[in-house]
Amino acid sequence: MSSLRHFAVILRKDLAMEFRTRDILYPMALFSLLLVVVFSFAFLSDPTRVRDYGPGIIWVTVLFASTVGQNRLFDRERENGCLWAMLLTPASRSAIFAAKATGHFLFTVFMELLTVPLIILFFDLSVPRPGPFLGALLLGTLGLSLVGTLFSAMLMNARMKEVLLPLVTFPLLMPVVIAGVKVTSLAVGAPLAEDVSMWLRFLIGFDMIFAVATLLLFERMIRS
Amino acid sequence: MNKANIIGAGPILAILATAAVLYALYAVFFVAPIEATMGFVQKIFYFHVGSAINMMLAFALCGVAGLVFLVTERAGSRVSRVVDAIGVATAEVGVTLGAIVLVTGPLWARKAWGTWWTWEPRLTLSLMIFLLFLAYLALRAFAGSDRFGRGVAAGLAVIGLPALYFIHFAVQRWGGAHPQVVYKGGLNVPGMKLAFFASVLAMSLVSVALIVIRARQELNNRRLDDLFLSLDAGEGT
Repeated sequence: MSSLRHFAVILRKDLAMEFRTRDILYPMALFSLLLVVVFSFAFLSDPTRVRDYGPGIIWVTVLFASTVGQNRLFDRERENGCLWAMLLTPASRSAIFAAKATGHFLFTVFMELLTVPLIILFFDLSVPRPGPFLGALLLGTLGLSLVGTLFSAMLMNARMKEVLLPLVTFPLLMPVVIAGVKVTSLAVGAPLAEDVSMWLRFLIGFDMIFAVATLLLFERMIRS
Repeated sequence: MNKANIIGAGPILAILATAAVLYALYAVFFVAPIEATMGFVQKIFYFHVGSAINMMLAFALCGVAGLVFLVTERAGSRVSRVVDAIGVATAEVGVTLGAIVLVTGPLWARKAWGTWWTWEPRLTLSLMIFLLFLAYLALRAFAGSDRFGRGVAAGLAVIGLPALYFIHFAVQRWGGAHPQVVYKGGLNVPGMKLAFFASVLAMSLVSVALIVIRARQELNNRRLDDLFLSLDAGEGT
């Protein structure tokens, strides 16, 4: 019960600070917008094949932009030794991890609210199956947030953190990208004979396994 | 010293590995017949599969070593030092084996399937293991060589195992259009069987020898660092 309250307090702290400074959301959103523009120029030459690469563009944008968020996620905790102070409080490590991951998840979803409609607009995608489309985005983003938060915390003090983080997380996140692109392609009406629910269950399985794995590793790693 | 004896097995293993490689080469080129459809190129297969099997084993070992490291990791604990050294050794040997797999694989595929690369489950899994090993080594090189840097790399090795399971599953379901290759189609010829097992054994011995030697070198490296630090501290006072 109390760890739920700790979770809420830490999350509220992060959201309040983010709301006032916007130093994660602003770079993330701007970066994703720039990516969309770059992709538009790179791929719009053949408008008839837009359905083939639209889903891929959505996922590459989400993956890249969420990396920007991961890089910044623990900056505030590092700057004044706040993480160690947080660890001294009665809050459990799992509450800290869950709150940070939820924060990252919310920031990324906010970025997606801005970017994904733009991609749909720019690439003139139609979404005949909005349910799986949103489901895949949310489940996939949760996976990105779990893995990203874990390694963001672990690499907090590393030199070259910005470069190392994607090197480490991208191979681990490949299943999310594979399943995400599949579901999104089906949701925008690509003629594939495949089972949407299988891929959604795959994403749920990934999220569940990695929720446990990242939580355990975080508790092991953040030990003073 | 019992421990020193076990670790000192490196040179003996290296000699055994050399003999096994020479014998495997003999079996591959002089005992095994030339395969009917693919011809001479099929001989790539023997060392290719031997490397691939050992690369997977090295990755599993790296993950287990990482797990043991995270559990036992206390300042200066002997076990954590050994598994940490095994982690580096398996990763470096694994990258080497992965490079062999990814160079010989396309050469074989070009002849067998008519294409250099296809997103076939086994190929993709090999590539992803290779990338994870490279990320592991990047962490070891750049994330700091303190307890924390070692821990991050160990964490990656541990979490890499479930990730690979998901990658494998996803890639298997991904295409469906790719031909499922029957690897052991022609292996009922006795000469081929001999060459196959000889080269798998040879690559295993090479891997184990390299891992043992590299792990010992890493342990010595740590000891040297400690000695240097204690010397430094002694001079300061």
